[in-house]
Amino acid sequence: MDRSSVTLRVIILGAGKGGTALLELFTRGHGVAVVRIADSNPEAPGLGLAKNLGIPTATDALSLVREDRADLIVDVTGDPILSTTLLRHKPPRAEVLGGTSALLVWKLAQYERELRDQLIQSEKMASIGTLASGIAHEINNPLYIITGLSEHLQDETRLEVIREYVDDITQSAQRIATIVRDLNTFARRPQESIRDVDLNQTLDEAVKMARRATVLDEVTVVTQYSAVPPVRGKPEEVLQVFVNLVMNAVQAMQGRGTLTLATTTADGSVHATVRDTGPGIPRHLIGKIFDPFFTTKEQGKGTGLGLHIVRDIVTLYGGQVTVESASGQGAAFTVKLPAIASPPGSPIT
Amino acid sequence: MPWGLHTKDTPGKGRILIVDDEDHVRKVLRLTLTKAGYDVVEADHGGKAIEVIGSDDNMLMVDVVICDIRMPKINGIEAIAFFRQQYPSVSVVVLTGYPDVNLATDLIKQGVVDYLVKPVDQVKLLATVEAAMEHRTALKYHH
Repeated sequence: MDRSSVTLRVIILGAGKGGTALLELFTRGHGVAVVRIADSNPEAPGLGLAKNLGIPTATDALSLVREDRADLIVDVTGDPILSTTLLRHKPPRAEVLGGTSALLVWKLAQYERELRDQLIQSEKMASIGTLASGIAHEINNPLYIITGLSEHLQDETRLEVIREYVDDITQSAQRIATIVRDLNTFARRPQESIRDVDLNQTLDEAVKMARRATVLDEVTVVTQYSAVPPVRGKPEEVLQVFVNLVMNAVQAMQGRGTLTLATTTADGSVHATVRDTGPGIPRHLIGKIFDPFFTTKEQGKGTGLGLHIVRDIVTLYGGQVTVESASGQGAAFTVKLPAIASPPGSPIT
Repeated sequence: MPWGLHTKDTPGKGRILIVDDEDHVRKVLRLTLTKAGYDVVEADHGGKAIEVIGSDDNMLMVDVVICDIRMPKINGIEAIAFFRQQYPSVSVVVLTGYPDVNLATDLIKQGVVDYLVKPVDQVKLLATVEAAMEHRTALKYHH
């Protein structure tokens, strides 16, 4: 039997750290489909993520096991009573992975998650490397204004001129502070919590980062935002998705053209599109652009991981990313993420 | 302040065209250079610089161009290529926030006198401008 074509239907019992790590791993394909997840604690993090991914959840593990047909039940609850009753109630065809074996799988899933986080962080750091010369320019200009005017202040006696220079110096220092703050926001490791994210705001922040990295004066930025509901994710990861897409768009246009950012709601998802007027992607390369380490950029300008990570993050949050492009006609990347009906009192971050 | 000469009637030590898209950077340069006795003309992008240097008005004859690299419209690299081709006797000094060894090497090969990275102190800037002036004078006599 060709096992690679079989989708393994899995139920996860336990939606704490272990269950969440398994859910994240299994939902990224590899022939495994999570059909249900349960935890007696309705606040368990894995249940929230599952809802996002459209996977049914339950707080009563046993009822779920009886109802559903599954190939495998992975029990990471660590509850010894559950593990014995489970064996009595499970459908005959389902295998159970529990106890130490489940713990081992959970540890491997966590390890995979850590590796993935490291990859995302490394790509971000590498992209900061490619941003660095642009950022140096952004910082060195105000720095020159500060040092230059300070030199002139030393032999200036007219009070009104001194005030004028000090004002200019203060403005330049504030400019540097803003750049450093934005860069820190982008560079820091994602916080643990998944929160509501406003994609309109995220797109604006991504353009701000791109502005730091390159001269955008010749790029017309057109925003076509709709009042879209929030999506769920780690804000830093969602920002990275759009920084990568916007930077690609700007690089493709070589700093000249029209960058269109659009958001809309369709089929219960928020769609965010980044469109450029660059040379477009040749048909024979479209299938490769999301592959890791695939790049058409010259050495030092790209890691080849940008779009791969875009797709990885978007898939993790239950979304998908599509591309429309033809040679000579620019490219449009659309990120679709499940829309969240914002509960009252939940701030949009 | 309007474009053009700031000390049109004074002969000064020489005339310098400052090309930078940032008002405050031009302000610092203007202060440093006029205090040192130079005549200053300004342009906020490469296109304007080409217009200024190409002016028929003899009063606008420029000895040295101090040019930024990253600017909108026509950037420094394009503008410098134009200056070197059309006005080879005018000395060009690059002053940029963009440290790039390869670019610096390329530009120096094209005949740029020096590639300075912001922030640069007054002493270094004036020494470079002086060297650029001497370079210009040497070329003037040579022709």
